[in-house]
Amino acid sequence: MLRRSLAAAVALVAASTLVLTACSGAGPQPSATGTPDPDASVAIRLVLEPSNLDIRQTAGAALDQILIDNVYQGLVSRTPEQKIVPALASEYTASPDGLTYTFTLREGVTFDDGQKLTPDDVVWSLTQHKTQATWTDSDRLSRVKSITADGQKITIAMAQPDSQLLWNLSGRAGIILKKGDKVDYKTQANGTGPFTLSNWKQGDSITFERNAKYWGEPAKAKEIVFDYIPDNQAALNAAQAGEVDVLTGFDANLKKQLEQNGDFRLVLGKSTDKGTLAMNSHNQWLKDKRVRQAIRQAIDHKAVIEALGSGQTMFGPIPELDPGYEDLSSVAPYDPAASKKLLAEAGAKDITLTLTIYNGYGTTIPQILVSDLNAVGITLKVNAVEFPTWLNDVYVNKDYELSFVLHTEARDFENWANPDYYFTYDNPKVQQLYQESLGATTDEAAAGYLRQAARIVSEDMAADWVYNGASVLGVATDITGVPSVNVNERLNVAEIAKSKG
Amino acid sequence: MTRYALTRLALLLVGLFVASALIFFTLRVLPGDVAQLIAGTNSTPAQVEAIRADLGLDTPLTSQYLSWIGGVLHGDFGRSLLTGSPVWDQLVQKAQVTVPLGLLAMSIALVIAVPLGVLSAILRGRAGGTSLNVASQAIAAVPVVWAGMMLVVVFAVWLGWLPAQGFPRAGWQQPGLALRALLLPALTIGLVEGAMLLRFVRSATLQAVGQDFVRTAAAKGLTRNQALIRHGLPNMALSVITVLGLQVAGIIVGSVVIEQLFSLPGIGRMLVADVGNRDLIKVQGELLVLTGFVLIVGFVVDLVHRAIDPRQREAA
Repeated sequence: MLRRSLAAAVALVAASTLVLTACSGAGPQPSATGTPDPDASVAIRLVLEPSNLDIRQTAGAALDQILIDNVYQGLVSRTPEQKIVPALASEYTASPDGLTYTFTLREGVTFDDGQKLTPDDVVWSLTQHKTQATWTDSDRLSRVKSITADGQKITIAMAQPDSQLLWNLSGRAGIILKKGDKVDYKTQANGTGPFTLSNWKQGDSITFERNAKYWGEPAKAKEIVFDYIPDNQAALNAAQAGEVDVLTGFDANLKKQLEQNGDFRLVLGKSTDKGTLAMNSHNQWLKDKRVRQAIRQAIDHKAVIEALGSGQTMFGPIPELDPGYEDLSSVAPYDPAASKKLLAEAGAKDITLTLTIYNGYGTTIPQILVSDLNAVGITLKVNAVEFPTWLNDVYVNKDYELSFVLHTEARDFENWANPDYYFTYDNPKVQQLYQESLGATTDEAAAGYLRQAARIVSEDMAADWVYNGASVLGVATDITGVPSVNVNERLNVAEIAKSKG
Repeated sequence: MTRYALTRLALLLVGLFVASALIFFTLRVLPGDVAQLIAGTNSTPAQVEAIRADLGLDTPLTSQYLSWIGGVLHGDFGRSLLTGSPVWDQLVQKAQVTVPLGLLAMSIALVIAVPLGVLSAILRGRAGGTSLNVASQAIAAVPVVWAGMMLVVVFAVWLGWLPAQGFPRAGWQQPGLALRALLLPALTIGLVEGAMLLRFVRSATLQAVGQDFVRTAAAKGLTRNQALIRHGLPNMALSVITVLGLQVAGIIVGSVVIEQLFSLPGIGRMLVADVGNRDLIKVQGELLVLTGFVLIVGFVVDLVHRAIDPRQREAA
């Protein structure tokens, strides 16, 4: 953990860089001509609509993606480069032993309903996050001993060090709400961010208005409309018809069609999306490490990337954006011959396995897996199911052989250290290294433990990582300031601007 | 007539009741539940149980059904498990898209089917009639999705006349825009349904041509076509009304698919999303209203048919 003590002036600069970096880390951006229009309305296509807006209790990246940073804020936030920066706290320090964190709460912050943000709100919110069992991420503050306020100074005392505390405070577990707010969280929002929620048409769109009372740099656009269009072809049609200005979650294979009339540019950014092929270790074949290795070596990961038109290969549980990443491509390189040999050694010739997959993922990945595994003598049956069915059969009952899920969350290595998780991976050494990483007091040490643990997970052939997805965006040429890194996870829209004419 | 109507009404009510029970209990067979969905993929079983209890999903199914149907009888369709908003309000809001879409599709289907159907009957055995017949057979066989895609490519992408998808955010406060948004989707359903209807109109017309009274009229000096239009058409209209009643179900199914394709915020798209979310209270409300609508249309068509067709009364 870095010891930071920022002077107030530096803090101000940091706050404005937070706003400014919202769009750095972006790939080559189309350069808009003309001056930004302060009254512009920008329409952004998103894929997955939240089922409700209750940021406290309803899980799912679809909520984090639009609500955190834009409507709700924490003491700290994260940049697209995944760095921690001040937000509602103007500055913060951590003691070298990692047991005390001190935050200075900003003055002059108000909630959407006009009420002033007080230290009391902060203490109450963080305490709720820690103690309410039905709140998402409630276990993330389990190492926190106490949360207290003295004037504008907020102190978090730790029972034991937690190298992920600041990261967690920049997510759901750190969101600051109004104490005892009576707002209907499912359909409304009362936050401190640069935008306010103005309208939600279920099944269609969510509209944000610029928050005129915002404490920081005001948002560039007057209105942001998130249009939920699941189908990529429909999204492309909407873009070509000028109905949306930004496409997220797009298909890089449609680059040509998107760019053909010069109004749009395809932008690619890194992401923490991990296409994870889980292998159930209780299965008669998959409990044999040789079979799991054979499956990994049978999959042509480069061909997957080519088929998707975006993303990169990944050979371990930690993606490049997260701490603890290293290139593990030598652990299980593509080698069908070696794969066949391993299967023969394991006595697993001509076996049949079933892949359970959420039907929303389309057919590309299943097709590749079927043909790659078929080439080494494994017959793969595909069982495409609705998401609630996947949750029930695979996640809850662990009743599956192979499962494919695109896990989008950043820094979610913990699941490999949880023997009860649906991955069915139980390795005490990995669990111990993960605990060491949590208890580390520097970022470098924490990442070091994770790196060791991730290598073991990969060498155990615990699963295959079919690909590390990219953030694929289509951006209209009159739009600037669109973040391009990990936008499935977070989409900070404060800097997005549309130029006149 | 009154006795017939009352019997038919009783039948309708029984049908609605059976439908409600069928809908409720078959939906409960779906794996997975909304509590697990809310809790997500980083949740503990205890968390899920707590949410389930919160939502009242831990009580016996029969009592869940009785409290739901009891509410419906009082006009209360309950609240969505996920969003907390009243189901009926949502239905009314989405109906503002689906009902006009259905009516527009129906009108388009009629405008296509009636004149062309009669024409193809009149031109029977000639090149024009044959080509109309073949064309209608081909179009009726086209999957509605594919038809929609084709129309989008032509009218939205190439010509740029009509929006490719979506609905104005201000809804019917911008009537022009709203209507424009519904044109392509309605045309898609109307074309496919119209082609089916066309073939029906054609055969009904041909049947009418063979009827005694048309032949009699023709014998009185009217041309065959005059006789057909003056005496055959009213007769044919009766059969067309019946078929239209049957087509309501087809149009509803079509609108579910089409609303997906055109991202229209209607009942069909909402239904698909709610099934995917296992928001069962909402799904059963939606299905009951749609089923009820089809049953009631059938009921009305039957009564109308009986009222205007003397032969039916004699048969009874």
